Amino acid sequence: MIDPNRLMEDLLDKGAEYCDIRKEEWDRMSVTLKDGEIDKISQGGEEGAIVRVLYKNGWGCVGTSNLDDIKEASERALSMAKSSDEFKNEETGLAETEIQKDDVKMPMDENPLDVDTEEKISLVRDLEDKINRDFVSSTEVRYGETVVEKEITTSEGTQVMMEIPRVITYLIITGESDTIQRATEGAGGTGGYELTEKAYEKVDVVTERLKKLLEADTPPSGSLPLIMDPSLAGVFVHEAFGHAAEGDLLSSGNSCLKGKLGEKVAADGVNIKDDPTFKGYGQFPYDDEGTKAKNRVLVKDGVLNDFILDRESAWKLDMEPNGGARAEDFRVKPLVRMSNTIIEPGDLKFEELIEKVDKGIYAKSSSGGQVSTAEGTFQFNAQEGYLIEDGEIVKPLRDVSFNGFTLETLQNITGISDDFEAGIGHCGKGQTASVSHGGPHMLISDVTVGGRE
Amino acid sequence: MSDQIVESVKTAIEEIDKRGLKGDVYALKEKAIGHSIKKGELSESSGYDDIGLGIRVIKDDKIGFGYCVPGKEEKGVKHAIELSDFSERLDLELPSEKDTPGVEVYDEKVRDVIEDSEGAELTQKMIDGSSSVADDITPTRGGLNVSMGTRVIGNTEGLFLKEKGSSIFGSVTVSIPQEETSLQATEIGVDCKLDLDFEEIGGKAANKVDSIRSSSERLSGDHPVVISPYAITQLIGFGLIPAINGENVRKGKSVYQGKIGEKVASEDLLMKDDPTVDWGVGSGAFDDEGVISKDTPIISDGILKNFIYDLKESAKDEKESTGNGVRSGFKSLPETTHRNIVLEGEGKDRDDLMPDKGIYVDNVLGAHTANPVSGDFSVVTNPVWRVEDGERKGRIDGLMISGNLPEILKSIELADDRKKCFLQIGSRRLIIETPTVRLNDVTISGK
Repeated sequence: MIDPNRLMEDLLDKGAEYCDIRKEEWDRMSVTLKDGEIDKISQGGEEGAIVRVLYKNGWGCVGTSNLDDIKEASERALSMAKSSDEFKNEETGLAETEIQKDDVKMPMDENPLDVDTEEKISLVRDLEDKINRDFVSSTEVRYGETVVEKEITTSEGTQVMMEIPRVITYLIITGESDTIQRATEGAGGTGGYELTEKAYEKVDVVTERLKKLLEADTPPSGSLPLIMDPSLAGVFVHEAFGHAAEGDLLSSGNSCLKGKLGEKVAADGVNIKDDPTFKGYGQFPYDDEGTKAKNRVLVKDGVLNDFILDRESAWKLDMEPNGGARAEDFRVKPLVRMSNTIIEPGDLKFEELIEKVDKGIYAKSSSGGQVSTAEGTFQFNAQEGYLIEDGEIVKPLRDVSFNGFTLETLQNITGISDDFEAGIGHCGKGQTASVSHGGPHMLISDVTVGGRE
Repeated sequence: MSDQIVESVKTAIEEIDKRGLKGDVYALKEKAIGHSIKKGELSESSGYDDIGLGIRVIKDDKIGFGYCVPGKEEKGVKHAIELSDFSERLDLELPSEKDTPGVEVYDEKVRDVIEDSEGAELTQKMIDGSSSVADDITPTRGGLNVSMGTRVIGNTEGLFLKEKGSSIFGSVTVSIPQEETSLQATEIGVDCKLDLDFEEIGGKAANKVDSIRSSSERLSGDHPVVISPYAITQLIGFGLIPAINGENVRKGKSVYQGKIGEKVASEDLLMKDDPTVDWGVGSGAFDDEGVISKDTPIISDGILKNFIYDLKESAKDEKESTGNGVRSGFKSLPETTHRNIVLEGEGKDRDDLMPDKGIYVDNVLGAHTANPVSGDFSVVTNPVWRVEDGERKGRIDGLMISGNLPEILKSIELADDRKKCFLQIGSRRLIIETPTVRLNDVTISGK
């Protein structure tokens, strides 16, 4: 591959205001064990690079999986940036960021690439063996690893190299009573093969969940108080609030948090952060623009305190960039993304939250959700639910789905417990990003539950 | 450049052959561009060139898989052979049939959009269309994605197939600012031929948002729900399509297990997976394992006819592959996956489907939370209008609809306005050609 600095000099000579090149080399391996049989096993490597060019107010980015074509890609990126500029009226720019020179390898005890395939097969088989088969009709255990080496070079002089390993394990089990039910749990993080140990803790969680679902009733519908468990609270904060705090959505008028910095957006005692330095699945040392990763305190005691920002959105919002730019791989440009999104614990006991509810729902672990950041609306499904009556958990529920308005719901947080747990996930925003989300138990005084009764 | 992909596939097959093994090699070369819309104007342009190979090797009836880029074929084959040791034995028969149907999926005009700056102009048309309805309506999100590619599949049985394809995807989300938040609506167009009316896409989005300005209304009780092609695509995609997948059926993860030949839907319903439809966004002459494409009826006259299979699942279930071996890219093994689902019914005029009292749903939030095993769903509708005497009235906020998709099919009614719809499910795309439908068995809940 041609020296990135030479390529960028050429682009600057041709009128580019700024450019950067991100080169990546990926190694991936995955195994899927379905009902005791190795269903899929795959391994491979690839490399490529993306050139990003800013010409006046226009951006052009071209990625290629053929490093010999990088010069052609850079020329196309410049031409796209020029054409993009012709259609643009809005001014753009990049907020200043410290020039970085660094070479970081994220710590890991055991590089997954050095672990024999036999051991990974034993892992998925061992996890499956530990699943109680009494009421489970089908099992799926997945293991996946990625190790990526990145080199980010910018026309301003930043040159950052980093190696990021990630390991993940999923358990998916199905059972049948009067309906067919499914329960899932995942474990993993940023680090080495040692993270697979966490998967063993999830075996009992997922089997117990399925057992409850098989005896569960459908939930009531209407406006009810709802307690989220740490996993669901984390996903809620990520989806309903975190996305609205992404700089690109804010600067393009797609967020209900626009113009609310410094305002009260949540109940007293609510503290939310997005922290790429937290040891989770969304951890990284530098973002994909070469900005050093730092903790973002988004909500401080109910007051909106910060956003997640890349350099362009920081420029547009007149703020400091804080390492919010992430790209799925070398084919695509970075977008503003979350990392590890966390709502901080409070001081109540979980039992005290339950006691506060006359009739409501205790919802555990998310099976997905969707938000509209501009309209400030959300919808979530819990994997597992319980009916609460007179301050006591009465019976299990399935297919618990609820929705509401983000800003209203954040103000309706009337209790936060003192426990904490973080989970892992893959966030989609046109591109996939590995993330963690976590929190304590959280009582919302009023959400709309969509049941079938 | 396409010769590089052909040579690379041949090299990889030779690598497998010379070791006395069986296998297949799938390669994809893609060129794509995208133009995004933000704050009422074209925001940025991007693109990528991608090429790679997926190599599946069968050694002692065991399958291993590796992927690589051209030039690294030997390494890719080596990975695949090493991993095959860990797989289960399976009698996988690779196809050798070479007579492909003629299916139109490549529009030469797409090349011009990718090579020239025409993409930016088409994006501008969506912006212009959405800005023309009212001054306070702004296109805040969306864009145009155009790609063309060459797919090659070859195997050690002498099969060697190559096909060019193209796809165009345009979307625009428009907003009207409100005191606290904003009102939004989205319109999407997808095709593999460059005959989308981009200005119309923008105009439709703007007209939708313009019609939800009035303050939110309320509706209680259960009523018929008329739902747009795009919204029903989402519900069916997440809550019903998994149930027709041969693997899920074999493993008891489908409500349709053991029901072939039974009446499962309203008499008029035809649901088929037909990748031989010209210009179908999921169409193609062969699947990603080299099995020749065919039209597979799933539900016909309300009767359950077939499930879908790839080579592996058909070997396990002792069935024929239906040509539904689909890969998410060259890095993935094939999986049994829908290709170009088509939904047809009696074909009433859309206006005749509108109830005396009910709702019209344009879009749903959270369809991916539908239970893929039972088909139960509970989703937020947005935007949604109250319907009275067959006419759309004011919007309703925060309304949820819940139901069970297999049950809903028994009384579903379909209009005659079939539209190509698109849904991203993880790394896979679901293509459904469906009209507007009326659902008569759902629960409505709201504040």
